[in-house]
Amino acid sequence: MLLPVADPDADLEQSLAHWRRYRKRRRIADIDWVDALYRADLTALLGGAAIYALAGIIGGERLTTQELHWVATNGADCLGVVVALVLAVGLRSGSRGGPLVLEHADVRHVLLAPVDRTTALRGPALRQLRFLAFVAALVGLVVGVLAARRLGPPVAAWMGSSALFTVATVALGYGAALVAAAVRLPSWIGTALGVALVGVAVADAVDAVEGSPLTAWGHLGLWPDAFSPQLVVALIATLAVLGVGFARVGDVSLEAAERRSTLVGQLRFAATLRDLRTVIVLRRQLALELPRLRPWLTVKVRGTSRFPVWTRGWQGVLRWPAARMGRLVLLAAVAGLALRGVWEGITPLLILAGLALYVAGLDAVEPLAQEVDHPSRSQSFPVVRGSLQLRHLAVAVTTMLVVATVAAAAGLLVEPTASGALVAAACIVPAALGGVGGAAFSTLSDPLAAGGGDGGWSLVAPETAGMVLAVRTALPPALAIGGTLPLLAARAAFDDGASAVDAASTAGVAVLVGFGLVAVWVRAREELRARWEASLEHTFPSRK
Amino acid sequence: MTTEPSVDPKERKLRRRRRASSLREKRVLLARRASKAYGDLVAVAPLNLSIRAGERVALVGHNGSGKSTLLRLTAGLLDLTGGRIEVCGAAAGSSEARAAVSFLPDDPVLYDDLNVREHLAYIAALHGVQAELDSFDDLLGRIGLLHRADDLPARFSRGLRQKTSIALALVRPFQLLLVDEPFIGLDAPGKEALLGLLDDAHQGGATVVVATHDPLYVERVDRCVALRDGHVIHDGPATPDEVLGLVGG
Repeated sequence: MLLPVADPDADLEQSLAHWRRYRKRRRIADIDWVDALYRADLTALLGGAAIYALAGIIGGERLTTQELHWVATNGADCLGVVVALVLAVGLRSGSRGGPLVLEHADVRHVLLAPVDRTTALRGPALRQLRFLAFVAALVGLVVGVLAARRLGPPVAAWMGSSALFTVATVALGYGAALVAAAVRLPSWIGTALGVALVGVAVADAVDAVEGSPLTAWGHLGLWPDAFSPQLVVALIATLAVLGVGFARVGDVSLEAAERRSTLVGQLRFAATLRDLRTVIVLRRQLALELPRLRPWLTVKVRGTSRFPVWTRGWQGVLRWPAARMGRLVLLAAVAGLALRGVWEGITPLLILAGLALYVAGLDAVEPLAQEVDHPSRSQSFPVVRGSLQLRHLAVAVTTMLVVATVAAAAGLLVEPTASGALVAAACIVPAALGGVGGAAFSTLSDPLAAGGGDGGWSLVAPETAGMVLAVRTALPPALAIGGTLPLLAARAAFDDGASAVDAASTAGVAVLVGFGLVAVWVRAREELRARWEASLEHTFPSRK
Repeated sequence: MTTEPSVDPKERKLRRRRRASSLREKRVLLARRASKAYGDLVAVAPLNLSIRAGERVALVGHNGSGKSTLLRLTAGLLDLTGGRIEVCGAAAGSSEARAAVSFLPDDPVLYDDLNVREHLAYIAALHGVQAELDSFDDLLGRIGLLHRADDLPARFSRGLRQKTSIALALVRPFQLLLVDEPFIGLDAPGKEALLGLLDDAHQGGATVVVATHDPLYVERVDRCVALRDGHVIHDGPATPDEVLGLVGG
């Protein structure tokens, strides 16, 4: 066999472009237009509902002169926080090989061919940016209209300003992601940079510090109110970051690109099914978050151990990578600071604290989740599965007690007082139990069960099934938020001149009872389900 | 007594550089302390390996010994943790190296919307080979895929997808052919055809490196490199029995 010979004058990039056009033509020819119209219709409906909800949140009353002055003084700083968040997401995405999600076959065949990678990747990157900018512009226009109702005319100027802000923000985040991917920014540096940027922007927004660089982008959203030369700098900087990103798009790591191409599709599918456990596992694979070969501490295992589940749990936890440990500390700090804000009177921060504890709880119940991931193994044990799963909660609760203690310390550090320490101490156990309760419920709930085809739900009316699904989705974070309610009780008691610690302790008992109910559900749910199935079978013998 | 004519140091340096350059050209693959780690898991320990043009090498080792990782590092699909790998004098993953290396992976990755012929034409075009859709019949016939040439590989079995992948690896020019576990999923005729094609590629002047668990394959090669836990534990000729001993079979 004669080996093929390449034409030295062949224009490889031209060939690539030709084949991409060919494939695009074929894809367009294969589009089911009825399906596409249905999707567009559905998107428009959902978009309309979102705008309606947003209008309700923003309201329509004109701001007072004092409020307008506040917007003029602090608005740009607050918008800077939004920019920081988008930038942080971009940096994190880029440090993991994003933002591009290439076709797996393209990674193998196009990027392994001697085609210029920058040319090969510029097209997909431009298409992705174009789509993001389009969505950002739409969102910006809608927010502009709604903002104009409160800030006053001219509406067109607010629409333009708002759209310019959202597009520039998205472009900055996208460009930062491209640059981070091109320079192969380590994931931990990407995360640290993002956290630092958000931290500075938040500190600037609450006037703790001055001079967050991202305030310049905030001025873009407020130029009808006051023109600042900083917005020109922001636009030029955005274009510069995008330019560098596109110039170096070909320097992306193939290893990261391939990992991303295989995992992101699965991740999106799992997210569509609200299969949180699969999302967590895939996200860890994407971030290469691998257990340590050597545990942080060695746990002695004896053959006659009376607590094998407890020992197994610690063996898993002590192999957690540093990144996961760091994430838990960060979540604890966020929860602690948010609870501090609740104590100071910003009640909605309770949701943020609860969500942070819920996400930390999802890491804490990892040994239990591993058991759920391998059902055939747990079925082979001579132990009732519910009992086995219940025993796994002990390690999760212990882990979350440490997390909640860190949260309490973070909240206290803002302004340490002895009475504050007592209240924080009273809130540690309920917060830990709430986080574990929510995470355990989420991990043990079958994401597909409420959709039909399981446990007799197929007999339930669609409206009821939808409600059950909504409850299943909302209950886990609600349980975690419930774990933080003792602080609210303590604040109310403090405001009334009663003992805050007593109030927190009393509310803590209620959380303990709630956690007990979750524990009973973990232990007995399979038996209860079996009885339910049996009774259905008895009542409706032709059901199957 | 004769004395060597004195040579200008600059000229000496130039000659040394030319000699090194010509040595490098003969070496199709050169790994210098190449390593790959995932956190604290070492997949390939700092490893030195040199493969000359025209050699036929079997890469053997037990599961997790680092064979596939080494091939992927050479192809440019993985980033090195340390050291350097050169293909025909160019850094692995560079445009020159990509033009010289053809990688046949153990997991076929194909487009959903292209049939076999279109796949071949596309990959050939990306490597500067201008060919018509029906000019691949000979290759497709040899691997037993001609009757499915107009079908979409997305609907193929594992074996047929592997055959498509083999065709893609051979439809483009290369100096170094890296083959990872090629016999998985292949039927007996498919395996025979692949062995024949690998022989042909070698006779055509290419260097062929095959990572395999099949100890019998080492009978067909000049050199066997055995890996264990990312380290080279044997480099030279070997019999199937020796291979079984080396990889703990």
